[in-house]
Amino acid sequence: MSDLPATAAKSHLAACHMCLKLASADVHQCPRCGSAMHLRKHDSLQRTLALLITACLLYIPANLYPIMYTDSLGSAEASTIMGGVVLLINLGSAPVALVIFIFSVMVPSAKLMAMFYLVWSVQRQSPIDRRKRSTLYRITEFVGKWSMVDIFVVTILVALVQLGGLLTIQPGIAALLFAGVVTITMIAAENFDSRLIWDNMEEENSAN
Amino acid sequence: MGSEIACQSCDLLVNVAATKHGQSASCPRCGGFLTRCYDNTDQRVLAFASAGLMFLAFASSYSFLSLSRSGVESNITLLQAPAALWSYGMPEVGALVAAFIIVIPATVLTMMAVLCFLINQGRYNPWLVPLAKGVFLGQHWSMVEVFIIAVIVALVKIAAMATVVIGISFWAYAAFAICFTLAVSSLDRYQCWERIEALRAQ
Repeated sequence: MSDLPATAAKSHLAACHMCLKLASADVHQCPRCGSAMHLRKHDSLQRTLALLITACLLYIPANLYPIMYTDSLGSAEASTIMGGVVLLINLGSAPVALVIFIFSVMVPSAKLMAMFYLVWSVQRQSPIDRRKRSTLYRITEFVGKWSMVDIFVVTILVALVQLGGLLTIQPGIAALLFAGVVTITMIAAENFDSRLIWDNMEEENSAN
Repeated sequence: MGSEIACQSCDLLVNVAATKHGQSASCPRCGGFLTRCYDNTDQRVLAFASAGLMFLAFASSYSFLSLSRSGVESNITLLQAPAALWSYGMPEVGALVAAFIIVIPATVLTMMAVLCFLINQGRYNPWLVPLAKGVFLGQHWSMVEVFIIAVIVALVKIAAMATVVIGISFWAYAAFAICFTLAVSSLDRYQCWERIEALRAQ
């Protein structure tokens, strides 16, 4: 018993998610800050999974529909997220194209896949690579907001590029969809309880 | 028991009483961040927050970026950027962008400054708890540094089509972003709540 790691749950303690106060697991309101207290986030896996599926559904049209329209001397041109990357490469700014590609294409899809993997591995109580999965979760949580770069770029271009008939830029529906994808995946990551990765460790150790 | 933290990412109980000024503690089992300790948190936060708010006021009053081609010119301030999305029939995205880059960071910074001022007074105040809750809830949703990168990307995108001039507001906003990041990293969740509890116990 002595070599088992002492977790809060094992000691019948719950930690407040807001102020980190430790209190008996039977208490439902934090004695320090008054937030609702629970041993683990409620329905963590179901909520995360539901939000992930929503984000996936939004992600498809977000890539197919144009994110902005460039109207230059009367000829309008629509561009999608990937189209913007290709345009930047053609303009000769490969580093910036890489930034947009990483933040708008790689990060959102990698993040969705990582979150699906985490939910799946917790669901089947996987005993492997707990530390790596914890790190994966922290990275996922950290990079989430960086996907907003493309939305901010569109915001700036739409506001700034208003030169009458000469050159104007208008936002496309994909801006709304993509902003939804980013926000919903951030909420999904917040709903995932990474302590679940470690929860079945003690039982296993004592069984051996 | 007073100086124990349950790691937020693996639930291990860790004693962090030995954390000294300038040091940070992380979980021995999963590597997750636990706490960082500063003896002069109040001074740091007050300094960075008040400087940041001044930079933000400056950033929203002058020209942010301007663009010209064949004699036609266009000029925007910081607040006009999200407002343009609104006028193009995308109020949701406009509101989201305004919240992420201006409203949430400014509110969090103001609340942080008031919170640290009140804690520094050395007396318990009923406003401490709601202020601290607001700060720790809101700081996760601020995207000031992301916006800076977005401005640079946007500049490269239009540089081929027209002449762009970076306004003084952009530099003020960049300074605001730095102050914001420093202020947020100076206020530790665990240490802050411990001090609030200590004040209440007096």
